[in-house]
Amino acid sequence: MSALETIESFVEGAPPGELADVIADIKALTVADPGLVSKLGPAFEKYNEEQFTTVRLPGSSQPIIVSSHSSLGNGRYYDVESSSSFEYDHATQKASGAQSYVLEGAQAELTKSTLKALSPYVKEHFPNAAYGVYPIENDSKVAIIIVANKYSPNNFWNGRWRSLYIFDPSSGALEGSLKVDVHYYEDGNVRLLTSKPISTSISSGTGAGIVKEIGNAEKKYQDEVNKGFTSLSEGAFKALRRQLPVTRQKIEWDKVASYRVGQDIGGGSSRR
Amino acid sequence: MASADPFDSALDLLRRLNPKHTTKHLQSLISLAPDLTEDLLSSVDQPLSVRRCKQTGRDYLLCDYNRDGDSYRSPWSNDEKVRRMEVKANEAFDVYRELYYEGGVSSVYFWNLDDGFAGVVLLKKEAKPGNANEGSWDSIHVFEAIDRARMTQYNLTSTVILSLSTASQGLGEMDLSGNMTRQIEQELPAESDEQQIANIGKLVEDMELKMRNLLQEVYFGKAKDVVGDLRSVGSLSEAGRDREAQRELIGSMRR
Repeated sequence: MSALETIESFVEGAPPGELADVIADIKALTVADPGLVSKLGPAFEKYNEEQFTTVRLPGSSQPIIVSSHSSLGNGRYYDVESSSSFEYDHATQKASGAQSYVLEGAQAELTKSTLKALSPYVKEHFPNAAYGVYPIENDSKVAIIIVANKYSPNNFWNGRWRSLYIFDPSSGALEGSLKVDVHYYEDGNVRLLTSKPISTSISSGTGAGIVKEIGNAEKKYQDEVNKGFTSLSEGAFKALRRQLPVTRQKIEWDKVASYRVGQDIGGGSSRR
Repeated sequence: MASADPFDSALDLLRRLNPKHTTKHLQSLISLAPDLTEDLLSSVDQPLSVRRCKQTGRDYLLCDYNRDGDSYRSPWSNDEKVRRMEVKANEAFDVYRELYYEGGVSSVYFWNLDDGFAGVVLLKKEAKPGNANEGSWDSIHVFEAIDRARMTQYNLTSTVILSLSTASQGLGEMDLSGNMTRQIEQELPAESDEQQIANIGKLVEDMELKMRNLLQEVYFGKAKDVVGDLRSVGSLSEAGRDREAQRELIGSMRR
């Protein structure tokens, strides 16, 4: 792996809300070759688009999503709800040059009706989220994105939820993925990474029908994730190390030399 | 702007990047900053590798502390000044391993210091209880036992690397992996080799109990809570109305 590929992989692996910290570390590690960091433009762009990075337009409080589905090319992105387009600096994560952007085309109506249905759903289930709907693939399909971030660096944790759906009006298919990324790093480094593909279909083909199905899928998924925590806790975690020996007593270390594995120890252990 | 120390930056990066791939990140950092090789290898804990002792046929664990150039020595054979105590410690922690892990591999390595001795207690277990549910636990306890008048001063630094994953149709893939480190210092009387080993045993046992509880709290408490903070299963407006009603109720009771 070249040095550039190495630092690109570090950028790609930055946890939610910690890109700036990762970049600072990369800079300190490449002081001998300061030109290297300036070549990270494509890696930043990939990171921001894949992570659905949010940005606030100057003078607005509404977070807007940066993604490949809302890209106009040449570093410009658009947002349907605020009818605006803007230039995005992938290195500094700042927006500028906002302009009016009017959505037209075959999927404009479906896009707007999906957005209208999505707004109350997101407010009901995500305390801090951005969302967007965009016509894609030459106006043949619609992309729906929800991204929720919660950063608490003072308490050493950050988290992100990402939903991406692609709706195909010609077949009624709704495909996508749900991803959760949680990082906890107080005297350690613990990461939760989940990923689940979604594949379902919508008979009505309306914005309300799409959002209803998204709601069902996400509720079901979150229940599954909660069950996953229980299954890991009761399964693998318990199978690795007991809290106490079978005798429910700590070891008598001054007598440990007289213990015989599988004989005097373990009480009702299966080894007997 | 003064630039940060590259070694600190490398450690900071390892605290941020996916802990499931620490070994890979470590290799990347070493290729990027070869000057840091020795410092990084001696201070970053990685999942332990298992080898089989050619003399005794027993499994043992590898780590940087029993590395000598490109070779690793087995704790079940060899000859050194602290060897006698090392043999006893390996036997004692073999009992400990069986009682707490009911399987797995343990290895203890001791070496001399000018004013005492030092060592590392290693434990490793892998589990596959089924349903695509799997995990691995690596404990790395590094200690110093420094001679003081009448007492021995123990400095213990413990790292547990815990990786868990599960998968199913409804869940997709779920990975919960990481590492946590804790330190403790304690002075205890130690008049014999047996007492030294008993002291180290107690310190490691208490530390592992503490860390197991901590890991349980972070993995299954904190991480789950953050998911609930990102998305609420129930309706947020209903939860808000319930809170409001509760506040009014409490307010009316006070009046």
